[in-house]
Amino acid sequence: MKNHLIDFIDISKSYDGNMVLDEFNLYVRENEFVTLLGPSGCGKTTTLRLLGGFETPDTGKILFDSEDITNMPPNERKLNTVFQKYSLFPHMTIAENIAFGLKIRKKSKSYINDKIKYALKLVNLEGFENRSTDSLSGGQQQRIAIARAIVNEPKVLLLDEPLGALDLKLRQNMQYELMRLKEELGITFLYVTHDQEEALTMSDTIVVMNQGYIQQIGTPEMIYNEPENAFVADFIGHSNIIDGIMIEDRLVEILGVRMPCVDEGFGTHTPVDVVIRPEDVELVKPEEGALSGEVVSLIFKGVHYELEVMANGYEWLVHTTEYVPVGSKVGIRVIPFNIQIMHKPESSDEKAVEIDE
Amino acid sequence: MVKKGVSRLYLALIFCFLYLPIAVLVVLSFNRSKSHVVWTGFTLDWYAECFRNQNIMSAFATTLEITFAAAVLSTIIGTLAAIGISAMKRRSRTIYLGATNIPLLNADIVTGISMMLLFVRFTNLGFVTVLIAHITFNIPYVILNVLPRLKQASRYTYEAALDLGAGPLYAFFKVTWPEILPGVFSGFLMAVTMSLDDFSITYFTKGAGINTLSTMLYAELRKGIRPELYALSTVLFFTVLLLLIAINLNSDKTPAPAAGKAVANKGAGLPDAPRPNGTAKQFVSSAKTRRAFYAKRAVCAVILVSLAVGSLAVLFSASPLISGGQTITVLNYGQYFDEDALRRFEEETGIRVNYEEYDDPEEMYTKYKAGAIDYDVICTSEYMIEKLIQEGEVLELDFSAIPNYAALDPNIIEMTSSYDPEHKYTVPYFYGTLGILYNTKLVDAEDVKSWDCLWNGKYAGSMIMTRSVRDAFAPALITLGYSINDTDKDHLLEALEILKDQNPDVSAYYVDETRDEMIAENAAIGVCYSGDAGEAMAENENLAYSIPEEGSNLWIDSWFMPKTCKNQEAVFRFLDYVCRDDVAQANFDYVYYTSPNRSVAAGMDAETRENEAVNPSEETIRRCEVFRALSDESAGLYNTLWQELISN
Repeated sequence: MKNHLIDFIDISKSYDGNMVLDEFNLYVRENEFVTLLGPSGCGKTTTLRLLGGFETPDTGKILFDSEDITNMPPNERKLNTVFQKYSLFPHMTIAENIAFGLKIRKKSKSYINDKIKYALKLVNLEGFENRSTDSLSGGQQQRIAIARAIVNEPKVLLLDEPLGALDLKLRQNMQYELMRLKEELGITFLYVTHDQEEALTMSDTIVVMNQGYIQQIGTPEMIYNEPENAFVADFIGHSNIIDGIMIEDRLVEILGVRMPCVDEGFGTHTPVDVVIRPEDVELVKPEEGALSGEVVSLIFKGVHYELEVMANGYEWLVHTTEYVPVGSKVGIRVIPFNIQIMHKPESSDEKAVEIDE
Repeated sequence: MVKKGVSRLYLALIFCFLYLPIAVLVVLSFNRSKSHVVWTGFTLDWYAECFRNQNIMSAFATTLEITFAAAVLSTIIGTLAAIGISAMKRRSRTIYLGATNIPLLNADIVTGISMMLLFVRFTNLGFVTVLIAHITFNIPYVILNVLPRLKQASRYTYEAALDLGAGPLYAFFKVTWPEILPGVFSGFLMAVTMSLDDFSITYFTKGAGINTLSTMLYAELRKGIRPELYALSTVLFFTVLLLLIAINLNSDKTPAPAAGKAVANKGAGLPDAPRPNGTAKQFVSSAKTRRAFYAKRAVCAVILVSLAVGSLAVLFSASPLISGGQTITVLNYGQYFDEDALRRFEEETGIRVNYEEYDDPEEMYTKYKAGAIDYDVICTSEYMIEKLIQEGEVLELDFSAIPNYAALDPNIIEMTSSYDPEHKYTVPYFYGTLGILYNTKLVDAEDVKSWDCLWNGKYAGSMIMTRSVRDAFAPALITLGYSINDTDKDHLLEALEILKDQNPDVSAYYVDETRDEMIAENAAIGVCYSGDAGEAMAENENLAYSIPEEGSNLWIDSWFMPKTCKNQEAVFRFLDYVCRDDVAQANFDYVYYTSPNRSVAAGMDAETRENEAVNPSEETIRRCEVFRALSDESAGLYNTLWQELISN
């Protein structure tokens, strides 16, 4: 295991009495791509700003390479930030923008010129040196912002929803570019987003946050496949989250039907949340399913159809590649491996929430 | 079609209402004739005169000093305030912004008075107090111009600069400053405009001898409209117009980005227009819009530079080159001292004179009592001096330091006994009588030998009475056989009765207008002061002046030294100068009231010397009575009765 590069230790931060971060603890290892994922107001941007030095925590401390940087001003920190948007200096050319940090460090002219060339090449914008910032598209601007940050050779690059303002296609391209950059530069990325796809695509580690608390830390696969609570499950993709009772190990009762599963250790007759991904629901003939119901809606989504099936009083979300007309009687079947059992939330923070973004 | 025509007409009318008065003013400033009605030819003389006029030029210089100093300082303070406010949380930002906007919404006159009260508490009014006042009312304009720019300038750019290793100051000047510069600039221009324009606040906070163009214009206009003031107003109007154009050009935003498709314009060879940071070469997506933008900037710069150069030129040409620390502050009636004579005094003695004017004695009393300015020497009417002597506000004079006092007529000095019995407080300056100005074509000279002519009905509908309260009662009191200083209520009611009887016969109650009306032969009889009569007679040879045999009011305006005097020695030199023969002559020529200096009368031609309006005989003077100060109660009674008369 590589060293901890950044440690957040017992960080609390509130604005006007609103607790944004509460006893927050997190570490980031060297050369790791860590994504803070959560709905707006979950504290992810605050975390980033604390690290960037634009805010100071109420309590707790931040270590960088084992050095306490809690009260260090931003201009002395060995990390650089790519902001959400509009962060290029509008009265400077692209070259001047990129050279900004280097000039402050009193680098030689030739060094600066080399760096500008190198950085522009890295972000695929060669020859843009003398352009003005307002002649660039949003994606180009963000790439320049990244170039401007990386010429300073920071140990960590902080990115605060850098792709938020871009359209889908551009966003996907930029995701690949960011991953490539990370490989080429070998630096640590701390990435903030509310877009779960973005997080799943790029990250080594995802930190799911809600209302100032970390909900789950893990690889994209772990987060997706084994959400630890209903919030994570709901936030990462749309899921069927159903109240259930764990009858005994490997047997759960949902909607009045007992189903075999693979989870153990929840005790007997324990109320639990049951998560079933829409793509894991199999539609079969009514008499062959564990439950049966009727298709109430059908939307074409490109790769698949999205259906809602009313069965045993619950509206099941189902993804299927087959066309099933509205009104059809269908049976529902889920294999034991795809039934995910979770503890009931202990606090309201962990409940599934409506995401309005 | 009709609809369109009507709306055009409507628009034209609105523009007429808005701009016609100004257009008239501009046209009149080029009119050879002094008349406001007749156009007799184009001339630039009034402009030449305006620029030759020392008063106007020094006011101009003061205006520019105050305007630019206030604008620069308020821009600095306002910009800092805006930065502070923009960094605040929403709640406190709203509160602070509201607080800074109060001076903006507050009535100028209230701001002016409250500032005056505050300043007087700590210091004397002067240049600095005007400057502070101007800075104060300019700051909100600067804040309101800078704040939107700060909001527009993304917070992220400043943070990005910090993030890239810049210290807070470096980040501000490198990143935030260029972004808010247009706002700062238009805030500055706005401040210049507001300062240039302000009257009320300046009027209340200015000290002795300080006049800006607006307060000077006001003071001058009270004395009558002169064409060089049209010229001055025109210059002022176009200066403000230029500034407003500059502000508008400046506030046009930077051209929008030419989205996406960028045309690299390398080597397009843009003209070297000024730009905020001035360092880098310019390569832009759309050269044309940029060029227009910089052209506008250039226009702004040219306007500003020319204003600055103009102001410097004026500063150098107008600043008085009088050295030495001695200064006296003189308070006098408006248009009551020859300007050249005043300047000669400064040259001869090296004592600088702060010269302040007022309209009527009550105003003088208020000004003096406010204590805002320490006056060294004041000229006013006899009854007001009496009041001030009673109040213990007047210092004794050392007449051994005023040798020219001996040149004054002992008869007049004798007449001052009523208010200065021991002759130790005052130096008479001008005197005159109240009498009847009449048109010899319409009035029998025998009639006007008595005040009775005002009551015998012969001249009904063709009489002008005076509107000055005590002078209005004087003829009635004399006719009834009472003293003009009578305060007995019954006597006054009697006087009121006969004034009421007379009222239907009176065509108007005037003071200053009487002279012109009589010259124009709009009335047969006008009760007025001898000075006005003398001037009217010089203009129209059909006019004559009579002081009725029953007697009349003799008024004497005198100099006195108030308790606030700081430099007695200089005051004595000033009074000695005023009493000197040549100076008395100069002031007589300027004011045309009767001078107590005997050499003035001696120098007159026979006809003038015989003219009772200009030079009342010894015998006439003895017939007259001088007003005594009234108690507050009596003054109130006079006013009540007067109101009752004219409200009829």
